[in-house]
Amino acid sequence: MKTFSKYWSIFQITLINSLAYPGELVGRSLMIIPFMWIFYQLWKVTFSAAGADIINGLTLRDTLWYLMLAETIELGRPPIARTMSENVKDGSIAYILNKPYDFLLYQFSTAMGETIFRAILNAVFGGLTVLWLVGAPKHPEGFLIALPAIFGAWILHFCINAMIGLSAFVVEDVSAFTWIYQKLAFIFGGMLIPLDFYPQWLQTLAKFLPFSSAIYGPARLFVTPTAQFFINVMSLQLAWIFVLTFLLVVAYRRGLTQLTVNGG
Amino acid sequence: MKELKFLIAIWNTNLQSAMEYRAAFLTQVIGMMANNFIYFAIWIIFFERFKDVRGWGVNDMYVTFGVLASSFGIVNLLFGNAFMLSDIIAKGRLDYYLSLPRPVLLHTIASRSAASGMGDFLYGFISYGLSGYFTWDGLARYVLATLLAATVFASFLILTQSLAFWFGMMTNFSNLVLNAMLTFGIYPITLFDSYAKLILFTLIPAALMGAIPAEFIRAFTWQVLGELLLGAIGFLSLAIFVFNRGLRRYESGSAIQIEV
Repeated sequence: MKTFSKYWSIFQITLINSLAYPGELVGRSLMIIPFMWIFYQLWKVTFSAAGADIINGLTLRDTLWYLMLAETIELGRPPIARTMSENVKDGSIAYILNKPYDFLLYQFSTAMGETIFRAILNAVFGGLTVLWLVGAPKHPEGFLIALPAIFGAWILHFCINAMIGLSAFVVEDVSAFTWIYQKLAFIFGGMLIPLDFYPQWLQTLAKFLPFSSAIYGPARLFVTPTAQFFINVMSLQLAWIFVLTFLLVVAYRRGLTQLTVNGG
Repeated sequence: MKELKFLIAIWNTNLQSAMEYRAAFLTQVIGMMANNFIYFAIWIIFFERFKDVRGWGVNDMYVTFGVLASSFGIVNLLFGNAFMLSDIIAKGRLDYYLSLPRPVLLHTIASRSAASGMGDFLYGFISYGLSGYFTWDGLARYVLATLLAATVFASFLILTQSLAFWFGMMTNFSNLVLNAMLTFGIYPITLFDSYAKLILFTLIPAALMGAIPAEFIRAFTWQVLGELLLGAIGFLSLAIFVFNRGLRRYESGSAIQIEV
């Protein structure tokens, strides 16, 4: 319990810190507005050209609310890999590693502290924009049902990003890896196009990968909050969390042996 | 001519500096090209499923994305500080450039080079090559269109980031308008109604960085060339004017700055 309270305190401190610059927080969250507007233009034309109200089980309204939640998850997460890379480059990693806490749990606590308000504001601005464009979601309760999956999505993002960040122990600059990860998440996570619109073979592949558990699963659950879908999303997500956490711990232990600290 | 020699000397220094870390340079170039390939796959999937957006097909996307990537890349490679100008102004880091006998704006924006810009620049040519619109005279138009689009883009960055002279730290606003410019530049222009198009030619001139250069590359017309030239000259003049007006308001900080 004492161990847990230590990380809870780190989480709280970061959470409060994230409110220190409200202008910064709000300014960053405004980005979701042009994104949602342009998505609306694209999908309005696409649905109209297809001459259908429903494409692969999704209406225009579902698609927009799906994309709103997908963007909220993506824009809400902090750049953990870049932060870890900066820590290695400027030597401040030395001051983090010698403290009486677990390095990975510390990073997770700070990442979650930074995520909460970012995500809330993105959801508010994105939600208001989509509400204005297409009206209320068909299942508003879907948001509550999707909450555990959203939390799971952040854990998955953390595991993958922390592994990319750990590669800084060896290569120092990780920006190329973060770009590629982000784009893989875009394509296999269904960030810009819901996976339901993909060709069948690609859907099958993408839905099995962790990217879909991190974006598509929670976003689709929001617009289709059925018990069966909830079980499917959560079970696949938990399996990936288990696998990726294991890989992350192994990568961390191996990475420590390769780390060279630059000054400090 | 004197300024061109000066610019070449700065770019040469930037290149030598980047070559000091060859592995990192290559990782960034190749990484950015891979990044663009993966991103574009989304559009291939989209057009495979929905065929076209009001007459705009995947081939048009290849050209638009190509010219946008190349123009973004060339600015990032040769005028990398244009992306950080508001920070430089707000933190009093213009002092260094003001103390030297060279044009402040040119010296400031050319003093940083991002290796990933080379990846974007090269990827653009590949994208054009794959578009199905490739011809040799089209390639010449591609180069010209890229230079003009890059001029508009760099001017837009200077213009928006120079607002820091009046409003201080503008990081969020700068990121917001940069993202808007790139996002609107990539999407098919046929999506937008006439009011939105007016915005895309003026307030956020994304059309002059994506759709209009792409139209010029596909087929030469004097009208489109005129639009591009007018846009490039107009925005560049406005950017220089706003920067110089802002510079009169610049206040130096007392922090000790080290330029490396």
